Amino acid sequence: MKRRNFVQSVALSSIGAPLILKNFKFGAVTEDLFKTSRAAEDRVLVIIRLNGGNDGLNTLIPLDQYANLTIQRQNILIPQNQLLTITPNNALHPAMTGMRDLFTEGKLSILQNVGYPEQNRSHFRSMDIWTSGMLDPNATRGWLGRYLDQEFPNFPDAYPNTQNPDPFAISMGYEVSATCQGLAANFSVAINNPFDSYNLVETGQVNDGTYYGAHMEYLSTLITQANAYGAQVNAAANAGNTLSTMYDPNDDVSKNLRYIAQMISGGLKTKIYIVNVNGFDTHNAQVVSGAPATGDHANLLSRISKAVAAFQNDLHLLGIESRVAGMTFSEFGRQIASNASDGTDHGDAAPLFLFGRCVSSGIIGPNPVISNTIVDQAGIPMQIDFRDVYASILKDWFEADPQEIQGMFEQTINFLPVLDSCNLGLDENKEALDVSLFPNPCADQTTLKFTCSNERVTIRVYDLSGTLVSEVCSKEFQPGEHLVPVQLDGKPSGNYMVTVHKNSGTFSKKLMKLKNI
Amino acid sequence: MIPEENVQEPVSLSLTPYTGTWTKAEAAHLLRRTMFGPTLSQITAAVNNGMNATVTQLLTIPGVSPPLAFHADEAVTPIGSTWVNDVYPASNAGPTNNARLFSLGAWFMQRINQPDVSIREKMCLFWGNHFGVDGTNEAKAVYGMHEKYRQNCLGNFKQLVKDMTTDPMMLLFLNGATNNLYSPNENYARELLELFTVGKGAQVGPGDYSNYTEADVAAGAKILTGWTVLDLYSSTASQPSNVFYSVLHDSSSKTLSSYFGSATVPDAGDLEYANYIDIIFSQPNMAKYLCRKIYRWFVNYDLTANVESTVIADMAATLTSNNFEVLPVIEQLLKSEHFYDISVRGAIIKNPLEVLFSMLNASGSVPNYSVPVNYEIYLNVYYLSQVMGMEYLRAPSVGGWTAYYQTPAFSRLWANSSLLKLRFDLGAYMTVTNGIVVNGNAFKLNALNFLDNLSLPSSAPQVIDDILTVFTCKGVSLVEKTVLKSILTNGQPDFEWTIQYNDYIADPGNTTVSTPVRQRVELVLYRLFQLPEFQVM
Repeated sequence: MKRRNFVQSVALSSIGAPLILKNFKFGAVTEDLFKTSRAAEDRVLVIIRLNGGNDGLNTLIPLDQYANLTIQRQNILIPQNQLLTITPNNALHPAMTGMRDLFTEGKLSILQNVGYPEQNRSHFRSMDIWTSGMLDPNATRGWLGRYLDQEFPNFPDAYPNTQNPDPFAISMGYEVSATCQGLAANFSVAINNPFDSYNLVETGQVNDGTYYGAHMEYLSTLITQANAYGAQVNAAANAGNTLSTMYDPNDDVSKNLRYIAQMISGGLKTKIYIVNVNGFDTHNAQVVSGAPATGDHANLLSRISKAVAAFQNDLHLLGIESRVAGMTFSEFGRQIASNASDGTDHGDAAPLFLFGRCVSSGIIGPNPVISNTIVDQAGIPMQIDFRDVYASILKDWFEADPQEIQGMFEQTINFLPVLDSCNLGLDENKEALDVSLFPNPCADQTTLKFTCSNERVTIRVYDLSGTLVSEVCSKEFQPGEHLVPVQLDGKPSGNYMVTVHKNSGTFSKKLMKLKNI
Repeated sequence: MIPEENVQEPVSLSLTPYTGTWTKAEAAHLLRRTMFGPTLSQITAAVNNGMNATVTQLLTIPGVSPPLAFHADEAVTPIGSTWVNDVYPASNAGPTNNARLFSLGAWFMQRINQPDVSIREKMCLFWGNHFGVDGTNEAKAVYGMHEKYRQNCLGNFKQLVKDMTTDPMMLLFLNGATNNLYSPNENYARELLELFTVGKGAQVGPGDYSNYTEADVAAGAKILTGWTVLDLYSSTASQPSNVFYSVLHDSSSKTLSSYFGSATVPDAGDLEYANYIDIIFSQPNMAKYLCRKIYRWFVNYDLTANVESTVIADMAATLTSNNFEVLPVIEQLLKSEHFYDISVRGAIIKNPLEVLFSMLNASGSVPNYSVPVNYEIYLNVYYLSQVMGMEYLRAPSVGGWTAYYQTPAFSRLWANSSLLKLRFDLGAYMTVTNGIVVNGNAFKLNALNFLDNLSLPSSAPQVIDDILTVFTCKGVSLVEKTVLKSILTNGQPDFEWTIQYNDYIADPGNTTVSTPVRQRVELVLYRLFQLPEFQVM
């Protein structure tokens, strides 16, 4: 029995799933349930950095706001009939067919309006905030660097070693990633081509206590490590494989994701891979004038979408799909109103993508609200704090201890369901997977998606104390997939359980209602 | 690994003139930081001339001859002539423009590969980093912008900012050319404050960055409306130009935040941008931002609280009292006690151009073929530096190269595992292979020329000492020194090297005696270029 299946089966075996939550204490479960599982140790996180500030409003288009978007950004807005509709109220940019397909397969999750309080519109400051995961301007470590510092103190001294022979993180290309900056060194190794072999001259240097001496020690440690890590990476690349035919051979994003698939399949134990994509600072010519579905931004999104879809396909073919998850991020979104150069200026919050077999749900968070009146320099207000996303990834994906995670961040963490679908053992239960809520978290309304045979289905909302909040419906449904709106207006913000009672059992999903903004 | 805070603090934080010992170590430190790889004779001359005369020489800016046409795709200018005032062909300007951009890239490498004792190229690259332009646009616009850096390289900072604000290339790069009354584009207005002048301070409130606010960015965008660029890729006009259209200018009165004394900027048409820059430069903390950048460029990445309150404050006072003339600040810094403090020697990991040209320049290696071959060779040099992470014409972002601002790694970003491997490969390429070969014409490190100009080439120990003087800040360990010498002598007694060298000098044209000598020096340098000691300056 897998680690979390026990929790799940206890919950489902009682009469009403929510009722058990009433007195259910995780502390009552045996201690080792909370230790990092074997599965989590083998898990890989791939981060794609969209450098420059991605225009979220032309990436994931809120269809219910389309009329006002026409007023604010007519010269760059893509005609509605060209968009790729993924829910009644959301559509993707037409260049994103690959990611649209992943969404349909339940392998893409989108968090809306992700950002941080008091947006700073400098690329540099904002990127520092996103890579450090802190608002403190004096923070020098990256968020994953802090996590790895906790797990592997004293790095880089005595690394690599027999327990940890492989690089902890790999940054594709020639630059290490600020995300992985630790206390004493950067945890990421820059790898341009994993097939390169390393055989650098090793000499002993003495640190005389000056800046010079610190550099000498840094460089000689780096040389020793580069040789050791380089040999591991090289061996894994040669042992590995890649099977998808969907990669674009002429595109760097595709090339790098393919290298990553090759290294993972070759057995490299690296936990984190980082891919950087430049060009998102689209102040002008974001779209081709008169043909807004084409242009620089379309090309960027097409490259990302195609590469991610190919990568996911590759992981599937390689049989390692449940070990790998991915995330995109960008330092900010762009302003709601476009400028006259067919571009957009620096803005605030934007959508963030998670991809992989284990993503929790479709769209998380409500659509942004676009006003019909021009507000100078207005961006999209933040609703989901990016630090909550990071913390939730650490919890769901690396199964880090929530208290330890809390210690890594400045604010009280609000954990979101982001990558927990494999943890719950739901991968063995296709039916349960078919139940999803979007957006989640939501504002006043969300949509429940489920499939059933010709049967009576009862949908209820409970709060976490097990009290019935509302019965959404209880009626006969036709066989197939259904979308049912769930209203939470007038209800306090917080966590709820939505249950779907069918002949085959009761399936529940956690739902979070956000504070009204 | 020693945490940074434990690094030895400078003994002197003073900008008063340095009066300590003046040996090869100090002279080489000065030349390494202000040039790209001094030769042994330049170091020796600096020792003999003394600090003051050497700094004076460094701050004298020799002229340059303009870039020349060399590429087959150039459709207008004859090969060997300069294209900088020539029009484009009436149709299909693209190939000619690419040919001119290739010429520019090669030309910058040629300039850096020059033997002058001058700070010129370090300052030009400094401004290229400061303004962070991705300059692969219309070649004459790119050239014109770089000419502003060169002509003003030790000149007035305020004037340079004004010149850059309406520079055609900059108007194109940060969208000033499409910033107008009907739709302000904030791109340049933001970077002007954040990266070019006052710099961004801590965010102390919503849209409030200590030295300016979001409202200032919006007001600045309006102030700068109306400028655009004409005659790009023109087949009739000799130069692209900027132009001001008052009908596209926002003539409303703009009000700045309290950081600029809540100043009002009334409509002043095409002079309004200059009035605005005057206001920016009147902010009391204005000088510090540039001084920090100068400090990081020439001295050390680590701006400790002590450095901030002493060195930076003093530099800023000099810059302000000289009405933003840059030369007095640089002169004071290069002659200061702090600059020669032992704690800051070797504190900078060389950037890719410093690595590349410390190999080439220090050995007096200059290609000497026809114009097209030389330019083609330099274009290859340009590509080498690009691969190592520093492409002269294209800063990676408007903030410049990350090694000059990204805490806490700074110049270590030039030398992660993958880039370090490239550096080593480059060292091999320039020594023990044929190097860059264009139509059968090879260019690599000239080991014999290097050897001939050392102080006592017939002495193996002296050759090694000279090599360490030229290429390292503090030498290498005794063990490593022995390794290097035994590579030079091929494991034989020192006198065998002397015999071999004397045979070569007696008959320098005879490759049977010169080739073994050249190869021994190449092998020593090949090893040296892989040592951590070579990577810093």
